[in-house]
Amino acid sequence: MAVGLRLSSELVAGVLGGAALGWGFDRLLSTSPWGLIVFSLLGFTAGVINVMRAAGVMAKQSERL
Amino acid sequence: MAADPIHQFQITKLFSLGHIGGQEIAFTNSSAYMFAAVGIIAILMLAPSRQLVPGRFQSIAELSYEFVANMIRSTAGKEGLKFFPLVFSLFMFIAVSNLVGIIPYTFTVSSHLIVTVTLAMLVFLTVLIYGLSKNGLKFFKLFVPSGVPIYILPLVVFIEVISFFLKPVSHSVRLFANMLAGHIALKVFASFIAMLGAIGVVGWFGAVLPLGLTIALTALELLVAFLQAYVFAILTCIYLNDAIHPGH
Repeated sequence: MAVGLRLSSELVAGVLGGAALGWGFDRLLSTSPWGLIVFSLLGFTAGVINVMRAAGVMAKQSERL
Repeated sequence: MAADPIHQFQITKLFSLGHIGGQEIAFTNSSAYMFAAVGIIAILMLAPSRQLVPGRFQSIAELSYEFVANMIRSTAGKEGLKFFPLVFSLFMFIAVSNLVGIIPYTFTVSSHLIVTVTLAMLVFLTVLIYGLSKNGLKFFKLFVPSGVPIYILPLVVFIEVISFFLKPVSHSVRLFANMLAGHIALKVFASFIAMLGAIGVVGWFGAVLPLGLTIALTALELLVAFLQAYVFAILTCIYLNDAIHPGH
C-alpha cells in the first residue's frame, strides 16, 4: 500500500505542481490560458518521469553526478 | 444533524502574540497542538530514569531511537547518521502529532498543507544546500541527461528541472492528503451513525453498520498515522542519500 500511495501521489503532485506553475505564469504575464495548458502538460510529463524513477524503471537524477 | 466534516480543521486564535508589519501573529490551536506534540516527545525522551532493565517508557524511547537509526543506516549508510537529529525530529514530530490527532475532539497538525510544506521544504533545502556544497557546480549536471540531441535538450532540461522541484510537492502533499482524507472519512461515517440513530428503532440497527466501519477506520487511521510518519522519514533518508552518495 505504501508503494502504491507513493507512486500515485508522485503523479498527482506532478499535475498539481505543473498547473500551479502555469496559473502563476498566467497571472504574472497575463497569457491566460496558454501557460496553464503548457505547464499542466509539462507537469504531467515530469510526474510520469518521477513515477518511473520511483518505480526504478528509469535512472535517477543523482546518478548523473 | 449532519456534522460538518471540514469543521475539525478550523484554525482558531487562542491569543495574540503581537503584530509584525501589520500582520497579526496569533497563537492558534494548531500552534498549541504543535507545542503539545513537542512536549510529549520531550517527556518521552527525557523523563524516564535510565535503567539497565528498561521500563515501559524507556523501551518506547529506545525502540524509536533504534528504529530511526536503523532506517538511516539501511537507506543512507553510515554517513547518513550525521543527519540523525533531523530525521529523528521529523519522524517523532509527525508520528506523535498524527497519533494525538486520532483522539476525538483534537486537532491534527499535519492536516494542513502549510505545515507539511514547511517540513518538506526543510528537507528539500537541506538536501539542496548540502548537495551544492558537496558537489559544487557539478550539481547542475543533475538536470542534463547525456546523449540527448541538442535540439530537444532545452525541453528535456526544463522538464528535468520541473521534476526536481516537484519532490517537495509530492513529499508534502502525500502526508497532508492522507491525514485530511482519513479524518474526513472518519467524520462522515461517524455522522451516519447520528443520522440513522435519529430515525428510530429501525435506525438503531442500521447504525450498527457505520459504527463498525468507524471503528475499523479508526484502526486503519492509527496505522496510517504511523505509516505516513515512516514514509516521510524514509523519503527524507532517500533524498539525503542522493545528496550524500551521488551516482548510486
